[in-house]
Amino acid sequence: MAEVASALRLPLVASDTSLGQVTRDVCAPMEGKPTWMWWAAFLVSSATMLVGATAVTYQVATGIGTWGLNRTVGWAFDITNFVFWIGIGHAGTLISAILFLFRQRWRTAVNRAAEAMTLFAVMCAGIFPIIHMGRPWMFFFVIPYPNTRGPLWINFRSPLVWDFFAISTYGLISAVFWYIGLIPDLATIRDREKPGLRKTIFAILSLGWNGSFRTWHHYELVYLLLAGLATPLVLSVHSIVSTDFATAVIPGWHTTIFPPYFVAGAIFSGMAMVLTLMIIVRKVMRLENYLTKRHIDAMCKLVIATGGMVGIAYATEFFIAMYSANAYEQFVFMNRALGPMKWAYWTMVCCNVITPQFLWFKKLRSNLVVVFILTIFVNIGMWFERFVIIVTSLHRDFLPSSWATYAPTSIEIATLVGSFGLFFTAFLLFCRVLPVIAMGEVKGVLTFGRRTGGEAK
Amino acid sequence: MSESDPKPTTPADDWMTSRRTFLRAAGFTFASAMITGCQSSPIHHAIPYLVQPEDVVPGRPVYYAGTCSGCSSGCGVLVKNRDGRPIKIEGYTDHALSQGGVCAVGQAHLLGLYDNLRFSGPRRDGQPVEWTDVDAEIAAQIAKVKAEGGAVRYLSGTVSGPASRTVVEKFLGGFADARWVMYDPISSSAILDSHERTHGARVLPRYRFEKADVVVSFGADFLGTWTSPVEHTAGYRARRTPDDPAVPMSYHVQFESRLSTTGGKADRRFRVAPSEMGALVSGLAALVARKAGTELAGAAAPAAHAEALAEVAERLWAAKGKCLVVSGSQDVQVQALCNFINHLLGNYDQTLDVTAPSNQRLGSDSALAALLDELRGGRVKALFIDGVDPVYDLGLATELADAIRRVPLVVNFASRNDETAVASKFVCPDHHALESWTDSEPVRGIVNLSQPATRPLLATRSVLESLSAWMGEPRSILDIVRSTWETKVFPRQTAQPVFLTFWERSVQDGFCTVTPEPVAASAFNLAAVKPAGEAHAAAAGQLEVVVYPTVGMLDGRHAYNAWLHEMPDPMTRVTWDSYACLAPATAKRLGLSEGDVVRVAAAEPGASVECSVVIQPGQHEGVVSLPMGYGSRLSERFANVGPQWLESRTAVGDDGRVGRHAGPFVTMREGARLFDGRPVQVSPTGRSRPLAAVQLHHALTAPEELDGLGFERRDIVRQTTFAELHDEKSHGGHGEHHGGPSELWPQDHPVTGPKWGMSIDLSACTGCSACVVACQVENNVPVVGRDEVMRHREMHWIRIDRYYEGDGDDVSFQPMMCQQCGVAGCETVCPALATLHSEDGLNQQVYNRCVGTRYCANNCAYKVRRFNWFDYPHADRFENLVLNPDVVVRSRGVMEKCSFCVQRIQEARIAAKARGEAIADGAIQPACQQTCPARAITFGDLNDPNSALSKANHGRRSYRVLEEVGTEPSVTYRAVVRNREGGEGHHG
Repeated sequence: MAEVASALRLPLVASDTSLGQVTRDVCAPMEGKPTWMWWAAFLVSSATMLVGATAVTYQVATGIGTWGLNRTVGWAFDITNFVFWIGIGHAGTLISAILFLFRQRWRTAVNRAAEAMTLFAVMCAGIFPIIHMGRPWMFFFVIPYPNTRGPLWINFRSPLVWDFFAISTYGLISAVFWYIGLIPDLATIRDREKPGLRKTIFAILSLGWNGSFRTWHHYELVYLLLAGLATPLVLSVHSIVSTDFATAVIPGWHTTIFPPYFVAGAIFSGMAMVLTLMIIVRKVMRLENYLTKRHIDAMCKLVIATGGMVGIAYATEFFIAMYSANAYEQFVFMNRALGPMKWAYWTMVCCNVITPQFLWFKKLRSNLVVVFILTIFVNIGMWFERFVIIVTSLHRDFLPSSWATYAPTSIEIATLVGSFGLFFTAFLLFCRVLPVIAMGEVKGVLTFGRRTGGEAK
Repeated sequence: MSESDPKPTTPADDWMTSRRTFLRAAGFTFASAMITGCQSSPIHHAIPYLVQPEDVVPGRPVYYAGTCSGCSSGCGVLVKNRDGRPIKIEGYTDHALSQGGVCAVGQAHLLGLYDNLRFSGPRRDGQPVEWTDVDAEIAAQIAKVKAEGGAVRYLSGTVSGPASRTVVEKFLGGFADARWVMYDPISSSAILDSHERTHGARVLPRYRFEKADVVVSFGADFLGTWTSPVEHTAGYRARRTPDDPAVPMSYHVQFESRLSTTGGKADRRFRVAPSEMGALVSGLAALVARKAGTELAGAAAPAAHAEALAEVAERLWAAKGKCLVVSGSQDVQVQALCNFINHLLGNYDQTLDVTAPSNQRLGSDSALAALLDELRGGRVKALFIDGVDPVYDLGLATELADAIRRVPLVVNFASRNDETAVASKFVCPDHHALESWTDSEPVRGIVNLSQPATRPLLATRSVLESLSAWMGEPRSILDIVRSTWETKVFPRQTAQPVFLTFWERSVQDGFCTVTPEPVAASAFNLAAVKPAGEAHAAAAGQLEVVVYPTVGMLDGRHAYNAWLHEMPDPMTRVTWDSYACLAPATAKRLGLSEGDVVRVAAAEPGASVECSVVIQPGQHEGVVSLPMGYGSRLSERFANVGPQWLESRTAVGDDGRVGRHAGPFVTMREGARLFDGRPVQVSPTGRSRPLAAVQLHHALTAPEELDGLGFERRDIVRQTTFAELHDEKSHGGHGEHHGGPSELWPQDHPVTGPKWGMSIDLSACTGCSACVVACQVENNVPVVGRDEVMRHREMHWIRIDRYYEGDGDDVSFQPMMCQQCGVAGCETVCPALATLHSEDGLNQQVYNRCVGTRYCANNCAYKVRRFNWFDYPHADRFENLVLNPDVVVRSRGVMEKCSFCVQRIQEARIAAKARGEAIADGAIQPACQQTCPARAITFGDLNDPNSALSKANHGRRSYRVLEEVGTEPSVTYRAVVRNREGGEGHHG
């Protein structure tokens, strides 16, 4: 019996699209020649990636000294970028796993792209813990591999080791989840292709999918289990990343609020990034029918919610610092707001606390240009949040004699920009070679051929 | 043979070779031969001793007693020699003057031995030549001068050694008109001249700070850069240990115009413009005279500080014969007044010794002035320049260089191509002091003898050998020194009846004590004392300049030394540059902030310099102070010091030199070189050049922008007063020990054997920074250069945090190094276990395990960890000879930090184990403790209740920095104690 579509809700896919039309729409960007817009975007982002690659090569060849770090501020852009990218990835897992379990069917149109974004963000994030090392060629020292050194192994008390486990698990699960979700679509593409190399590749990748009931049944069960498996990761990864700071003794880092605060922030930034990307993709890829205003609207609401949590966290930190009666703690927070790096702090507050408030208004929420601009601000704000936490806590800690300042070098800026280059290059390639929208899932939420609830009676 | 049939293997079985094993072995051998044959490393020829010298064991250090040649103070040192090369200067505890201390310059001057740019042989007109050619030419010219009876002048710094004096005097004796002119670049000429007037003998008294209950200093930086800082620090320190109430602490008053390290340690400090100094000393003289029942005719009561002077006079009078009034002034009048005060107080032969006076500065500015006149007039026919650089020192660059070029015969014994060497026709480079026999007599009756610690590394020649050669009787330096000692020193003592034993003993000890040559002093000449009038105060809108030596750079003679450039100045904490210090109010008035470039200009004779501003609390508002020793040719070598990369910036200024020369502001007046008081115009240029300072915030209170939010002074340096410390009712001026949260958990690495710890007496520390350089030498700490310091990446393992209290009249110095925490933040966060706890309580850094995440440094509450941001240059193989082979040279990307000199701990441990004993208390001395002139550092076993360290820790002054963080540091600090009334030890 067909599902009932409510007339009171906006349809998940606009217009009365047929199943075949969905396949044609989604496959169109992969099968035709890329548009000039795609080429322009690809050239810009790959050039940016090359700039970053050059910067990283120079830094690895010359030394971490090519960054602006110093004896007091040992981390700045590197770990800021790392936490930022890990945070970006969170929306993907949230959409694909948690929203799946909660039966939020609007997710079907965005989950593929969001998951891809997660993967690319984790890729970008993963680069930083390696290149931030003084001797990156020795990075395997933080991995617990079997060796002959006896008791000299890794330090299980170190949050950086936890990070290694958390991020590698996260990366792995995200990749598997994404790939499993792709299989029915890969099979669709296989079937559409003329014989040739492409067909062979898709045939191998689709693992002999035959679209039978049994195949679908197995597939959905696996997908459900993986969703269950991925769900705790949404909470765990950023909680563990936050322990990099929370377990330290440095005032401003040594805070128990960090795990929930970081998770909320991660989802906040991730949603903002998904919105940024979706608004571009639906335009460039002509997918307005699938990525509808309803999706944008739902995600905007998530942005408001998580933004509110982040704002409360900021206030809580100040309150606890005051309440702790710890002079160092109090100093660090006053210094954030009024010290030499107050510009970074107030940038963060404006972008993360004030910006989302505009989304309360339906009129603004449904104006895509406004939403796009607001999400860009949220992205900037969330980058600054990590920068503020890391740099303003370090630069003035316990002993005033060691207080220092921090300014990035050109190499650091190039590396940050390059990571965006990598992210967008990967995303653009993804748009060209794989279906941006989960065809199999979207077909399940079409109004096509379905009676409309309410009218029947 | 089956498995169930075991058979004992015999050696013969092992030799059974099957075809397979043969092929296996052959293959392995062939492969190994291939692999080893591929290596391209050079073959090193190691030649063993044919006859092993006694007591020389490769790899084990040998210590030679010697004399420091860093300045003219004549401190005793032990030269640590490893495999034939000196690698470290160590303090010499038994030396009569230095008593175990070596200053920063003393530590650093070792680097000069391995200086690639030192002259490697004689030069004529700047071109390298052979010694024989030079000797022939100079001898011929000398003969010519002799025949014509032309004027011969020998210009040197202070030379006090019997052998040196004998040879030079003999050399000069061969000429009809010869004169020896000595001058000190940092001149104390006025003190000697004033004694000539008041005592009839031109002597520099030996000051005995250890005997003084009250010390009053008028601008004399006796702990930093005055006549003999290490000796005076030892003496001063003896009376500044406040722990025993039976030994009263001395009372120290300082009147000064800039803020010196000495002033920062004072119990009371007054800011006085140079022009007011004369009136102030006159005022004090009048007050003391009144108490002594005489009158100082014509002394007007000084306008300022009248109340303070009355109190000081009271204190002095109460401590008659046990007090000391010193002055750094170059005004003979002022110095005579000080002599008068000391005379009235009966301090002569108590706290000032003129019967066995000091020879540490013998220079005469009037003799120098006369020589300059002769040079200008072209009357000098031969000029020998020994160990000084007058063209640079006197700030008369082109004029004096031209005058020197006009002299027919100029022979310079310089080691480096300094300003004067460039203008000298012949350069006959002297040995480095560590390569040669030298002697000196820093205080009459204490004669230093220094043996060579290595054979000459370059084709240099001792000055005395050169002079002998030109006299036509070439002798070896050993022969010269030994024969002089036989005739001149040996007869002055009776303890050793045979010269050979006396000589052997003196060589081993590095010095001997003999009867001082008598001083022909007459009765105090009251007529010589006249009140010093008010000097010309600066006109409105003008400031008075003070040119002063810094602890590291002194007069600039070591401007070639990268260690000294990299050593932060104890007060300004600036490296690699000179600057203009202005009081905060003055800077505000002129609208200047730190780093703004100003032009300091004086008229008649014109002098002008442009440099960045340092805002210096505690300085007099009417003063601009400029450090000496910068902007010399010797610093041109530093254009490319430190790592070179895309954004690196040079260490030198526009003129290719480090800092700017303040010499032109020094004037010659009435036969004395005046370093202060000259009126100058200070004008902003509108440009800014940030300085490479290692400390940006200078107080323990909140910075300006957060002031008024109720942040209290951080309890990092504790202060108390002598009275409060010994008041049973109080708690000794420091808070209660906080119970750390560490008790929540059991010790996860209990230390059962020795647990190494350290105690640092902040009351004793003068901030002299000797430990900083000592640590750098001992632990192969790289020099990173100006740009890296500016990026806050200095590598020193020990730093001296300097905090101003209040408005800057009190200064506290806090040596800060790895605190070797019991519960270390760094250890828990390192993912690779590269930093661990040792079984003797040390926090160890494993370089080859470190991947360089820098997490440990972030999580260090004391910020003492240092990261190798680059591969720091070690390309200079000659300079690399100074590296300590016991300490690894770190590569890029790894963290490093103070190790408590673990190599010394291991050395002592091995030695004790070989003897089958426990390590004795005091057997281990880290480099910082070993060199400390103030004996501020105690190292030892925390688990031994009888160790000196445990006793120090039980004192009431002991506390640990940031104890509340719960890191359980192994380093304790002892609170600063000031001898003044009131509570917290602060002013006001």
